[in-house]
Amino acid sequence: MIRPRLALVAAIFLCCAGTLGAQTRMPDWSGQWEIVGATPNASGGMVQSLDEVLKTMQWGPPNNPGTQAIVAEFQGIIRKRLEAIRSGTDPGGASGPTCTFGFPMVMLDSPLMFEALPTPKETVLIFSGREVRHVYTDGRQHTPKDELWATPWGDSIGHWEGQTLVMDTIAVKSPFSGIPPGRIPVIAIGARLEQEVITFLSPEAQFIERIHMRDKDHLEDQMTVIDPASLTAPWHLSRTYQRVAHLHRMVYEDCEGEDRNPVVNGHYTIVPPPSHTLGSTPAPINAPAGQPTAPN
Amino acid sequence: MRRVLTYALVAIAAMLTASSAFAHNSFAMFDQSKTVTIQGTVKDFRWTNPHVFIQLLVKNEDGTEDEWSIEMTSPEHLVRVGWKPGTLKPGDKITLNIHPMHDGVKGGQYLSGIGPDGQPLIGTPTPSQGQAK
Repeated sequence: MIRPRLALVAAIFLCCAGTLGAQTRMPDWSGQWEIVGATPNASGGMVQSLDEVLKTMQWGPPNNPGTQAIVAEFQGIIRKRLEAIRSGTDPGGASGPTCTFGFPMVMLDSPLMFEALPTPKETVLIFSGREVRHVYTDGRQHTPKDELWATPWGDSIGHWEGQTLVMDTIAVKSPFSGIPPGRIPVIAIGARLEQEVITFLSPEAQFIERIHMRDKDHLEDQMTVIDPASLTAPWHLSRTYQRVAHLHRMVYEDCEGEDRNPVVNGHYTIVPPPSHTLGSTPAPINAPAGQPTAPN
Repeated sequence: MRRVLTYALVAIAAMLTASSAFAHNSFAMFDQSKTVTIQGTVKDFRWTNPHVFIQLLVKNEDGTEDEWSIEMTSPEHLVRVGWKPGTLKPGDKITLNIHPMHDGVKGGQYLSGIGPDGQPLIGTPTPSQGQAK
């Protein structure tokens, strides 16, 4: 009689100990995180200069000659377009329906915040643009090639080395159009207008990230890009994320908002929202959806 | 519908066109080479996506009044630096530094400001920090 009880107790103990053990091995990354230096100010500008961004990212892609040529050609296109914007023949900017930055930009140079939720079998990164990265740590391999296609977030697997999550991502496709076909842009953006540098990776790029909590208020991501088709050597990058100081919940970017900057006579202008907005007079519940409203 | 991101990304947005996260509100309509200061009374603080607006009533020298539309960044960005939907209220008398519109429309891009209590609005750089933009 005692033996079955002991067996039951032992089974429960082992089960709970296993579960608790797995849980306690998981670091506590709760809270909201933002990239140090890529945080926006109230006017929408970034807070770090390009020099600071390049330094903190450890920017220095070892581009091969083919990539150098692609970047140079692209920069020429950029210069022409910027000249057209300055001369007024191009309104500048563009519209798009998504908050998608895609990988690796969500990790490297996005003004959006994120939450990181580690569990034994999977770590999920949820960004305020509603992008999600799933990093499977259950021992699986990458998705077989015949079942795999490229997406803006790629195919990620990982494993834990102590409190460090090692992530391996392949099959990345840029969400951006207007770039060299098939290429993955990596961009560093500084605080002042037109302060950016860019390079391009090939579709075969592989990304190894080591992310860990540096201290209670900082996560650090050490990224290595392996891409023999575009780089002469692995490219090591780094980004640090800090706790969002004034917020203790996720607030999403609402990319479905109405257009406040229409193009009129070939130039952008502003159309302020009606006063029936959050923080102002509430909108009537039965307001017809999608009906344009003139500013008050 | 436009994207929400920042004018700091304008040049990139110029390269990466439709369906891009960087393809956002242009901010090209603001004259980045000019900064003007306006004083007035808040008519409305429109806490809305994709961008927040301050509607400011500004008195002219002849006694007439114009309504200016001052565009800020998104609510998601503003709450991260401490702004709230009630940070400004109708009737508040404030001073704003803005990049004005190219086309002469009474509006501009928010840069910094002085609140109704005479203190810098949240996120306004101190002189030692310079203008973070």
